[in-house]
Amino acid sequence: MAMVSTTKSTVFSALIASAAMLIPSAKSAYADAAPEQAIVGMKYLNYHDSQSGDTAQTAGMSRDRINVNALSFMGMVPIAGKWTVAATFIEDSITGASPAYHSSGFPSRTANHDASSGASGELRHAGDLTVTRYFSRGTLSLGTSYSQESDYISRGVSLNGTLSTEDKNTTLSLGTAYNSDTISLDKPAVVASKQRVAPGRKKVYSGLVGITRVLSKNDIVQLNFTYTDGQGYYSDPYKAPDVRPSHRNIYTVMTRWNHHFEDPDGTARLSYRYYSDTFGVRAHTFDAEYVQPLSNGWELTPMVRFHSQSAADFYVPVGAAELADPSTPTPPPPGAAFYSEDQRLSAFGAFSYGLKVSKDLGRSWLVDVKYEHYQQRYNWCINGHGDPGVANFNIRDIQLGISRKF
Amino acid sequence: MYRIGFRAMGSGCEIVIASTAKKEAKAIAALGIREAGRIESKYSRYLAGSIVSRINAAAADNRVECDEETCALFDYADVLYQSSGGLFDITSGVLRKAWDFSREEVPDPESLFPLLKLIGWQRVERKGSAVRLPIEGMQIDFGGIGKEYAADTVATLLHEKGIRHGYVNLAGDIRVIGPKPDGGPWTIGIRDPRNSDRMIASIPVYSGGLATSGDYERYFDKDGRRYCHIINPVTGYPVNFWRSVTVLAPLATTAGSCTTIAMLKESEGLNYLRESGMMYLAIDQYGKIYHND
Repeated sequence: MAMVSTTKSTVFSALIASAAMLIPSAKSAYADAAPEQAIVGMKYLNYHDSQSGDTAQTAGMSRDRINVNALSFMGMVPIAGKWTVAATFIEDSITGASPAYHSSGFPSRTANHDASSGASGELRHAGDLTVTRYFSRGTLSLGTSYSQESDYISRGVSLNGTLSTEDKNTTLSLGTAYNSDTISLDKPAVVASKQRVAPGRKKVYSGLVGITRVLSKNDIVQLNFTYTDGQGYYSDPYKAPDVRPSHRNIYTVMTRWNHHFEDPDGTARLSYRYYSDTFGVRAHTFDAEYVQPLSNGWELTPMVRFHSQSAADFYVPVGAAELADPSTPTPPPPGAAFYSEDQRLSAFGAFSYGLKVSKDLGRSWLVDVKYEHYQQRYNWCINGHGDPGVANFNIRDIQLGISRKF
Repeated sequence: MYRIGFRAMGSGCEIVIASTAKKEAKAIAALGIREAGRIESKYSRYLAGSIVSRINAAAADNRVECDEETCALFDYADVLYQSSGGLFDITSGVLRKAWDFSREEVPDPESLFPLLKLIGWQRVERKGSAVRLPIEGMQIDFGGIGKEYAADTVATLLHEKGIRHGYVNLAGDIRVIGPKPDGGPWTIGIRDPRNSDRMIASIPVYSGGLATSGDYERYFDKDGRRYCHIINPVTGYPVNFWRSVTVLAPLATTAGSCTTIAMLKESEGLNYLRESGMMYLAIDQYGKIYHND
């Protein structure tokens, strides 16, 4: 779960990542021959989150927050044995509300009101298109993406390449991406202090360097570095008090080890990611999943993940004023230039578990079902002090997918 | 003795209550925490609905009616302005726009000039209980009074609820409710302004309020000089003479105002402290300590 992204983009990246996993080139760890078969697939996702007031400080805060229903279509076509064109299209609808500060400050209008956009049953559309050229020792991909909802437009381009050694045991990956976002600030639900006609803009550049090495026929290791440089509007238009710096750099290091067990013919995928940004958030994410193919085309993939992050430098924990009266946010410290009471910028630990079951139906049809549960607690943080005033946060995620090769 | 910690004014705070049953101590402290929160919200310039935000938003426009408590704080701010020769000015917070401590940059004099023109308590229009800021962009800010005032009101409330032994500590500004149950003083440590882990002195306090102002709360160091958050409203530059000033006075509010004025008066601060008749402990830029005998 990405920590500082919005709930919506978290849902989207999960969907896109799962769609991308359908593409054979993404499944194998190193550059490969161009796929020979086309794929079309469809996924349905239901995301539901809620907060639970399980401590004396947060008692009475239990409630449902956001519900997302998303449908995605993906397709990939090989062309002339050397090219592929892949596209994804997603539509989702979001209902519910997220808090304006900490775990409180929900909009008073209830039914179907979306606090993060001010509209009810907010729709979002997104799509991306990637063209990949396969070479004997590498690949080159050019991608573009677009996503739109009533108050947010995001456009992106990316260029990614891989280059393998002669024996294909070592692969170097290089990538770069540019995103440009436009954030509407004239919607009625935007907090008064942030209302303005001109939209907020954000430009984000990122780069990736990675190396993948095949150690043995059963072991692959990978090391990736990413760097992201963003400028622009980082504050949340629907949250107050909330003023964030207009610049954020992100550094991540990701290590992965995939090990194949010959006897049960299963594959363990272990990864660790370190995240650091100029907001002051440092995060450790440990991921483990195990893929076990069974007879008759069944495959089981249980997964667990632990994430722990420190708070942003300008995160304001729940204070006396808010404890006494949750309808009043905590005033930021006197003299603070930047401040936010967004629980996603607080220190916390989160544990997820999930299970994916897929079945090859034969004749090139594949169906899968995935269930994931995420729990976030202030006192599970291993690299910072959580805020006991923030309610526990839970996510339940269900995905259904079907795909066919041609 | 029960120590009830909480967060307010952007820092860790505590209420210490002695010689009362635990359950009762907790329940009464909760009232005190609520009171601290009430004052913090009421006078926060960050909250859109607060009286301070409403007055600032109506600058060059309407008069804003104030309640009795706010009027009393304005009266007090007026006394401070007069007695400090205009150095303690609750309209000086606008200088924050030039002094952004997160960016660690010394602003150009040109950028200070338009802000200095927005400062001047004597220009604030008060008519009965109504207040109006005459110039667009002018701001008031109770940042220099609010925390100490809250320590006093919380202590008063706890006393009214029957607490006789304990103290209120709001981010280092302390108001004693009453001495220890055996009649002895509370020992309050004064931290070293250059080493937050170290105590430089400890002061026995039986009653009253103890406050400290220092150049270490929000600051940056540049080219061998420290730029702190206490800014002279006449020059537009941070003061530079004292590392910290601590004052013991009958009220935390008085103690806090004395420390701030002494910081603002710089080299004249010592005379001011001597003449105030309060107990003080001041540390200058070289680490030299001054206190009454």
